Amino acid sequence: MQPAIALDVRPNSGVPIYRQLVEQLRAQVAGRRLAAGEFLPSVRTVAEHLQINPMTVSKAYSLLEREGVVEFVRGQGMRVTTQPTNGKVRREAIRPLLEQVAATAKQLSLAPEQVIAQLKPMLEENDDHRK
Amino acid sequence: MTTANNSPIALAGVRKQYGAKAALDGVDLVIPAGSVVGLLGQNAAGKTTLIKTALGLIRPTNGEATIFGEPSWDLSAATKARIGYVPQVITLYPWMRIRQLIKYTASFYPRWNDGLVTKLLTTWDVGGEDKVGILSVGTLQKLAIVLALGHEPDLLVLDEPAASLDPGARRDFLRTLLEVAADGRRTVLFSTHITSDLERVADRVAILRAGKIAYDGALDDLKDSVKRLHITATAPLPVDLQIPGVVKSQVEGNEALISVRDVSPALIEQIRRNYAATVGVQDLNLEDIFLELHHHA
Repeated sequence: MQPAIALDVRPNSGVPIYRQLVEQLRAQVAGRRLAAGEFLPSVRTVAEHLQINPMTVSKAYSLLEREGVVEFVRGQGMRVTTQPTNGKVRREAIRPLLEQVAATAKQLSLAPEQVIAQLKPMLEENDDHRK
Repeated sequence: MTTANNSPIALAGVRKQYGAKAALDGVDLVIPAGSVVGLLGQNAAGKTTLIKTALGLIRPTNGEATIFGEPSWDLSAATKARIGYVPQVITLYPWMRIRQLIKYTASFYPRWNDGLVTKLLTTWDVGGEDKVGILSVGTLQKLAIVLALGHEPDLLVLDEPAASLDPGARRDFLRTLLEVAADGRRTVLFSTHITSDLERVADRVAILRAGKIAYDGALDDLKDSVKRLHITATAPLPVDLQIPGVVKSQVEGNEALISVRDVSPALIEQIRRNYAATVGVQDLNLEDIFLELHHHA
């Protein structure tokens, strides 16, 4: 069964449409609105629904495939992968935040060791809350 | 060109002089097969001249134009049959009925998709019994688009196709354009000055400014690379701030708004360090970018 298409793009945004799609799908997978094993709607369906160029949808899908969020299943389409085991996806998800930390650290002229020393206890503290 | 180029459209060093004025001033442009290219330019930027030169309807003063590798000025009948063209100003036989005009047009082509034509006429509410002469500008344009699609051309060229369509018809037209382009086998070039039409449909954009190509490439790349930087420094910034790839720059005291052509983490880092500044990066949509590129007059 085709899942409902819960995607919405703003073509006249400064963010390219394919990026908007990638971000929304990534968020839906992370938030379990798209569960592992579910299939993404076909490129054609999404392109028609949103009235955008099918190549834009393909581009978004292949980016998600490269990130490991989905996998291509011959004859069936793009299937959402099992996320918890996929470290790469989770690493990608935290990357923008880390980039921000790095940028701010540089502006404050903090040495990498100082930042890591500060971050490490925070990470280890969180360890206790893991199930 | 030194090598044979079989691209649907290729222009190399094309100049078109009208008296003292150069409508095209050295245009190099290749339209890759399977792409949907929006040709963006202000009025009088040379869009129509570019299209007509590419199609061999006018002869360039200098340079070379080819269609599928053949010189545009001397196209074979077989190559002509692969082109669909809707001009900006449409002239069709006013005394014919639409039904007759379609039959007449179809007779020129070895291949004609009746099903597609009928479907489009129904969708767009164009009646077959109406005489061409009484049609509104919008309906005439729809009809011209249907006629250009009937023989399922490999290359579809449209000069300001949506200009005289109302918003509803424009949406329908864009949908049809997407259907036409969906299989990736067909190549579409359409000119427009309406950026929102282009952003939905086109995968590439060529920006024509005063007879020259100011940008040619993927729309996504353009949006990813042209950004506006908000620079806030701890000390007054030099008025002639030197930043590579600057498109537009406004400096006032400690602050500057700089639009750059090729943003990169390295560039931002460099500005941060050189001016002890914080740098905010703002996304620009196509209309913003278009206006920024037209800033230096």
